[in-house]
Parts: sequence; structure tokens; C-alpha cells
Amino acid sequence: MRMVIPIKQILDPAGITVRRDKERIFINREEYIIDPGSKAALEAALRLKEERDQAETIAISLGPARTDDALREALAMGCDAAYLLSDPAFEEADLSVATLILAAAVRKLGGADLILVGRQSGDTGAGQIGPRLAEALGYAQVTDVYALAVENGAARTTRRWGKGYATVQVQLPAVVTVAPEAFPPRYPHGARIMNAYREWNVPVWGCADLNLEPSSLTPLLTFRGESFPPPLEPERFRGNPTTVAQEVITALTLHKLINPGGGSHGL
Amino acid sequence: MDFSFFGELLEEEREITPEVTEGYRNLWVAAEAADGTLPPSTLEAIGQAREIANQIGVYVWASLLGDGVEPLAQQLIAYGADRVLVADSPSLAEYQPEVYVKILADLVGQHRPEMLLMPATSLGNDLAPRLAQRLNTGLISHCLKLTLDMSERLLLGTCPALGGEVYHTFACPQARPQMATLEPGYFRIPSADPYRSGEVKRVDLDLGGVTGRLSWLEREASVELPPVPLSRAKIVVSAGRGMGDAEGFALVQRLAEVLGAALVGSRGAFDEGWIPEDRIVGVGGQFIAPDLYIACGLSGDIYHYFGVQSARCIVAINPDENAPIMKVAHMAVVGDARQVIPAMLNALGR
Ligand SMILES: Cc1cc2nc3c(=O)[nH]c(=O)nc-3n(C[C@H](O)[C@H](O)[C@H](O)COP(=O)(O)OP(=O)(O)OC[C@H]3O[C@@H](n4cnc5c(N)ncnc54)[C@H](O)[C@@H]3O)c2cc1C
Ligand SMILES: Nc1ncnc2c1ncn2[C@@H]1O[C@H](COP(=O)(O)O)[C@@H](O)[C@H]1O
Repeated sequence: MRMVIPIKQILDPAGITVRRDKERIFINREEYIIDPGSKAALEAALRLKEERDQAETIAISLGPARTDDALREALAMGCDAAYLLSDPAFEEADLSVATLILAAAVRKLGGADLILVGRQSGDTGAGQIGPRLAEALGYAQVTDVYALAVENGAARTTRRWGKGYATVQVQLPAVVTVAPEAFPPRYPHGARIMNAYREWNVPVWGCADLNLEPSSLTPLLTFRGESFPPPLEPERFRGNPTTVAQEVITALTLHKLINPGGGSHGL
Repeated sequence: MDFSFFGELLEEEREITPEVTEGYRNLWVAAEAADGTLPPSTLEAIGQAREIANQIGVYVWASLLGDGVEPLAQQLIAYGADRVLVADSPSLAEYQPEVYVKILADLVGQHRPEMLLMPATSLGNDLAPRLAQRLNTGLISHCLKLTLDMSERLLLGTCPALGGEVYHTFACPQARPQMATLEPGYFRIPSADPYRSGEVKRVDLDLGGVTGRLSWLEREASVELPPVPLSRAKIVVSAGRGMGDAEGFALVQRLAEVLGAALVGSRGAFDEGWIPEDRIVGVGGQFIAPDLYIACGLSGDIYHYFGVQSARCIVAINPDENAPIMKVAHMAVVGDARQVIPAMLNALGR
């Protein structure tokens, strides 16, 4: 079984302060990490690999040269191979362009039985790469998966569905997007970290390697500005407990601090 | 992520190639039916579509796919749709991404909507990106707000980034339809007008051999989530001596459970024997930085507060308005936590 895990490198949120009152983002420490969604996808893939004799895990990432670090971390976690997809022509990739590039890489690798990605990336949180990639490759898809097993050419998943969960079986090849809260990632093994830099090779694939015409890589979405949610003003709630409780829950929901009924996953 | 390039992008000239956008008209909502009703998220999308359609003078169309969904079409009209395309068939009883994409892509090809809105639900989040890829168009997902750039007739979608701390606005000038998914709870549900007229049209299903590759085995599955280390918990619920007794503490425990939160406490809670020592928050214990900290029945003495000062939002429940925690809380609930927490659980539907 061949698993391909597209991972994304993002700026470490711990090094960023957002000042809503000043409407500014301060980058205190420019450090990069593997996006938590991608890391969960790696974890899910490595667990499947451990359960069987014949399994291969390949991490791929679209990004600038520094993304090499993320791929070496994936190797240190236990992946068998890693490829960096990097080219000046990739720099302005939006989600549709990223999909083309990632799909081209999967094809060059000879396809996959299972592609694992995060449900949503940790910075932009679009949640599009998984289903877009499935469409580009003609694979089946299951999103927002909390449990995963593979048997006889099919994956059995437990996915979030509305307010609850459903068990869904999917034929391979398939793209599965995973819920980060369900697959806490392992720590890379000390010796493997050393090896990841000393012994492994992370090939870089650009336009020519992937047979992509730079002119075909035109983004569809354009950025039209940044804004900030209003700062949390101190607020007092008093009165009848039932009313007060309702008000607090509503306020917390609107500030996206809680997710009653699954929030973005709810119906 | 390098934020500097956003500025440059903004400066760029924006031109629209007419052939890309020509012949596309009207605003569509891919409606959803769940358990024989239209969920609020679909009504919100219809309401938003109606508002935009009125501004640019076009019709609102809705598509409705499923088994036994036709009776709901009239309701979509009551909430603001002008025309509803219904694909009602036992073969659509279960959601299959490829089948739904095929039907919607065919309808879009025939009728060429200018904009296509979908709720950001489990189904919408699964379907919209795949459909956008099939249609070779852009999708602005998880929108909290939609506006129009009237000069170019562009849909502007604002969605959260960096975990909701920042909003980004996008447009899709060069491809049609312009697609967006709408985050549930952010848009107004319009009021229904049962006398509103509109047209319901049945769609002739031609799946062209496309079949689903999913088998829905069980609808009511459950999952057991691994515990989240305290340092990474997004929501932390905390108890203090003010909860009174074990029964009071159990309420806090229940709240943590329902919110999927980590459970901690003050030194006071530790002294009462409710929490282990490694769950004390404060200078003499753990330092945490959750998005949300709910302090129940604790005074928030400075020794304690030091450990949570980096929390994004502090909610405190305390009858004493002058307790230190009430001065630093973003949401200070003046009241008896033994009454407020059960009411919160109730409001959360538990
Ligand atoms: C050197 C030093 C280090 C310390 N380090 C820490 C530390 O790391 N962490 C820590 O927590 N403490 C620490 N302390 C202890 C700290 O000073 C406080 O004594 C302790 O935090 C108080 O715990 P409490 O808030 O649970 O109890 P109290 O201070 O007794 O507060 C109880 C609160 O509950 C409220 N209340 C009463 N009834 C209700 C009700 N029905 N509903 C809601 N609210 C109600 C009261 O109004 C009151 O505000 C330290 C102290 C010292 C001296
Ligand atoms: N540039 C990228 N390179 C590789 N994988 C990516 C990239 N961007 C996103 N992904 C994968 O797609 C998932 C969802 O991302 P998104 O659709 O951007 O929210 C991430 O968790 C990654 O697994």
C-alpha cells in the first residue's frame, strides 16, 4: 500500500501576536512548523504503516526552500521518502494551483492508494486541498475523519457528520482528510532526526520535473485585504441564570471560542 | 506565511476578461435537507443570497438534492428562492461526493449561475471544494461575511485565518461561478413568507454511469478522543473553592466534558481534593495560554491569574463582583456558578 501525505509548512502561531486593537500582526519569532493538520495526517499514515508489512509512506510539500525542514521532520517521524515541490513559478499558488502541483507530484510518484491530508491547514484554514486533490486525481474522498482502518482495498473511517459521527467505508484509491484532535502526532526519534539530515535525500521537483507549464499556474482567487475581528471588550452579564447562560453561550459562539453542535461541521 | 506579499497583490491591476464572465447570471444556493427539514445553515444561505440578488437585480435559484426532499422546495421559496431545482430520487438518499458533483456540475453547465453559495456544513465542506475543482473555479471557504464589489460585480468573501484572529477577504475575478461556503451561525435567517411565489422544477437525473464509492455503514457512531495535553488545550475549564462541594465540582467537570475542554483548578480546588497537584494553574503550578478559560467559583488571586494571563478570553462566574478575577475577565458573569453552569449545559443542548 502506498500512502502519500501532502504536508504544509506554516509560521509557528506561538511566535505571532495579533493585536486586534492596533489592527496589526506582530511576528515576534519567525519560526516554521508543520501545520497541525498535516502532522495529524502523517501520524495517521504512520499508524497504518505499522499495522502491515508492505506499506510505503511518502511526504510531499509545496513551498519555498525552507520547507525542506518540514520534510526532514516527516522523515524523522518515520516516513520512507520525501519530496519538495519548489519552483519560482509556484510562488503565487492559490488552492487551485496548489492542487495541480500536488496532483502532478502524485502522478509522478505513480499514484497512491491513500492520500492523507489535514482537514484544514493551521494558518489559512481553507479545507480545500483534500477534496480538490481527490477530484483532480479522480479518487474517492472522505473528509473530517477521526478513526481510520484499511482492509481489502477499502478504508473504514469514522467521520464527523453534522452533530455526530458516522462510519463510512470508502474504496481505494481515496483521499482522506483527518481531524487533528484525533491523531496527536508522535515525536520524531532522536536517531532518526540526525539521519534525516545526514543520510536522507529530499529531492526537489520543479515545473520541468512535474511536466507543468508555468502559464497553466494562474491563481483563481485574488487577495482583497485583511481585517480584524473587533477586540473583546470586557462585558458583564447579570440577572436570571438561564438568560445569562444563553447570552454567554451565544457570545462565545460568535467569537468562535466554542463550537456547539460542531460549529463549522454542524448542519 | 509571508504576509508582505498580500500588500503587493492588493496593488496589482485587476482586469476582467469578459469572455470568462459573460453569460453567467443569477445567484445559486446549493440547499441541504437534513432529517426532512431545511437546517438553519441552508436558510441563512438563502437569506444572504436574497440580499445579494436584490442588490444586483438577479434571481435566486436553489438546488435541492436527496430522497423525499421535494416537499421542502416550497419552503425554500418562502424563505427567498425564486426557482428551485429538485433532484429527488432514492439513489440520492445517501451523500456520495462524485454523484453530487456530477449533478451540480451539469446544472451549473446548463444554467450558468454567476455565484454559487453553499453552507459550510459537513456536507458543504466536503462537496464545495470538489465541485470548484470540477468547474475549474475559485472557492472562498468558511465565509463569515459576504459583500459585493459593485464596480466589477464581484463577490467578496471574508473568512478567518490564523484560527480566527485575522480575517482575509478574497475575490474570484477570472472564473465563474464565484463560489463561497458560509459558516453556520454568521448570517441572518430570513423570515418566511408562505405566500411568496416561485417555481419548482424537477431535474431529470442522468448520472452518466457515475456511482458513489462510499458505503455509509452507521449513522450513530462514536469516537473516543485522546486527552489533549494541558499546554495545547484550546479550551480550559477551571474550578475553585467557591464550587462548594464535590457536587458543585462535578458541574464544572461536566462543563469541561461537554466543551471538550481540559479541566484544571485553583489551589483552593486542590486543597478541597478535587484536582491533582499537576492541575493547579498559577505561579505555583501550570502556565497555560488557551483560547478560552472559564473560571468557575475561583477568586483569581494574583498567584492564580499569573498562570492564565495569556488566555485569549477569560470567562469568570462568581457572585462577588469585586473578586479579582471579575476585574480581568472578558466576560464576567455575576452569579452563582451552581445555577449558571447547569443553565449553560442546558443552552448547549446537554
Ligand atoms: C506563594 C504562593 C503561591 C501560590 N500559588 C498559587 C497557584 O499557583 N495557583 C493558585 O490557584 N493559587 C495559588 N496560591 C493560592 C492563592 O493565593 C489563593 O489562595 C487561591 O488561588 C484561592 O483559591 P480559590 O480561588 O479557589 O478560593 P477562594 O480565594 O476562596 O475563592 C473562592 C471564590 O469563589 C466565589 N464563590 C463562592 N460561592 C460561589 C458560587 N456559588 N459560585 C461561584 N463563585 C462562588 C467567591 O466569591 C470567591 O471569589 C498561592 C499562594 C501563595 C502564598
Ligand atoms: N502547500 C502545501 N503542500 C502540501 N500539502 C498541503 C499544502 N497546503 C495544504 N496542504 C495539505 O492540505 C491540508 C488542508 O489544507 P487547506 O486546504 O489549505 O486548509 C493541509 O493540512 C495539508 O495536509
